[in-house]
Amino acid sequence: MIAKKVTANVVAVVIAIFFAFPTYWMLTSALKPRSGLISTDYDLIPLSITGTNFSTAWTKPGFLTALGNSLLVSLTAVLAAIVVGLLAALALSRLRFRGRKGFVLMMLIAQMAPFEALLIPVFLMMRDLDLLDRLPSLSLIYFAVTLPFCAWTLRGFVNGIPMELEEAAMVDGCSRWQAFRRVTLPLLGPGLVATSVFAFVTAWNEFLFALSLMKDQTKETLPVWLSGFQTNFGTDWGGAMAASALFTLPVLVFFLIVQRKMVSGVTAGAVKG
Amino acid sequence: MTAVNTTDSAVPARGSSPAPRRAVKGGARRRQGSALDRALPYLLLAPAVIAILWLIGWPVLSVVITSFRKLNLKELTRGEVVWTGLDNYTLILSEPTFWTIALRTVLFTAAVVFVSVGAGLAIALLMRQVSPVVRVVLQVAMLLAWAMPLLAATTVYQWIFDQQYGILNKTLVKIGLSGFEGYSWFTSGVSTMSVIGLLIVWQAIPFLAFSLYAGVIGIPRDQYEAAGIDGASAWQTFRAVTWPELRPLLLMVTFLSLLWDFKVFTQIWAFKKGGPDGGSTTLPVLQYLEGLAKSHFGVAAAVSVLMVALLALLTFQYLRRLIRQEGDL
Repeated sequence: MIAKKVTANVVAVVIAIFFAFPTYWMLTSALKPRSGLISTDYDLIPLSITGTNFSTAWTKPGFLTALGNSLLVSLTAVLAAIVVGLLAALALSRLRFRGRKGFVLMMLIAQMAPFEALLIPVFLMMRDLDLLDRLPSLSLIYFAVTLPFCAWTLRGFVNGIPMELEEAAMVDGCSRWQAFRRVTLPLLGPGLVATSVFAFVTAWNEFLFALSLMKDQTKETLPVWLSGFQTNFGTDWGGAMAASALFTLPVLVFFLIVQRKMVSGVTAGAVKG
Repeated sequence: MTAVNTTDSAVPARGSSPAPRRAVKGGARRRQGSALDRALPYLLLAPAVIAILWLIGWPVLSVVITSFRKLNLKELTRGEVVWTGLDNYTLILSEPTFWTIALRTVLFTAAVVFVSVGAGLAIALLMRQVSPVVRVVLQVAMLLAWAMPLLAATTVYQWIFDQQYGILNKTLVKIGLSGFEGYSWFTSGVSTMSVIGLLIVWQAIPFLAFSLYAGVIGIPRDQYEAAGIDGASAWQTFRAVTWPELRPLLLMVTFLSLLWDFKVFTQIWAFKKGGPDGGSTTLPVLQYLEGLAKSHFGVAAAVSVLMVALLALLTFQYLRRLIRQEGDL
């Protein structure tokens, strides 16, 4: 029995190493001097450490632009998706009306539609709207991709807040809006944060549309910039690792903030960055 | 992002704090006009519905329409509309490489889904067995993998698998497999797909393990105790208790994995752009190559339609069940 327990723990640690290793390797490689990266020494633990890779990545032309583009596009898309999605979620969760079932189905189907298959019509549409090589087109697309997910997930969170709380506030003299703002909205906070993070990560990761619609280098997002890193600058692995680390950092911080919410968000349904 | 909720989430009760019971200034109970009340749900839904119809509904319709047109750069710049009926489809379907690519996509998806769901389940079950400290360590490690952006992860994997200085080859040589010195992992399509598959599995497992673990801890303890009293073996307990309880959740995550893994583009493109020699080209890559690289928009649209048809075929049974279930809400 004890042997079994020990085996389970050992296996779990090995698996943990498997999952953590790439992060470890990214960070230590980013800290290694160039000579260390292209030597045949076996350096699982870095032999010497430097910060130059981070400063090269940071000052490399394009990095800050791409970072700014990614932030701008992702944040505007998520903000819009959360606002519009919350309105829809409230209607679907709190109100009874004709055609409700139809809307629920629409959200569900929209959520499952493989958006990547819509590359051609979306490309043509953005071309007709004269939005190629313009960041708002990406904002619009990421908004559309994350909206059904946001509406659906937020609907779940709203369902979790008893209607009676709002009703009690309304008996006490609040208007419907006041009851919502003072009672439901604060309770909805964690759900809003968790949903936003997942939506943000989706937008932050998106590659196909950013690659297809933004041919202008100054309009590149971080994923596209990073994918061109090797060819643009030779294979500066230290720089690539440092850039990857900088790219990962905001997501990691967000994930740590909503970590608890995440598991309950997961039980609630399904989310994936 | 595509995601589906099966159950409605519960916001953890915050110590069940009662609603603030105080009169609001000027808080005479206002009865709003009943016309507004009746219009309210539609007003709230309007922005979402407009956005979905415009940005998803219209492209869906348009991709089908475009797939029946001849639309290359020439037609596009002149604004010509040339209908060609099923030409795009016959062109693609008579191309042997299309069938290779379609088969490759299906096999790749099946393999990645099978491995990631299987490993996710195994890790979820393992997490119940280990000591709390180890569990936290494992969860943090998986969180790291989950949080790494796709492109960052792809870049790190490229570095690990680097022919010359990659740590994998260095390690293999170190443990005595000298054949791996300068070994290239990307000379064949199968090998390239395997590395990409490993990367996708590595990134997919954390989500699967976390959600299945949540399902596992939701199984009532007394069921396991009863199984223990009956003297059931570990395998029998799994068959009789764990499996039936987890089945719905397993089906759901398998379905989601299918949706996600079938349309993978980012990692495949970033690794070898579908190469070597088209050896890692999948349907999404083909769609991109035909459409955006070659400007054969009509053909690419037909590829998209076939792609969705294939995906629908793979998920048909589950989709039908899901929609019937949700329709009852």
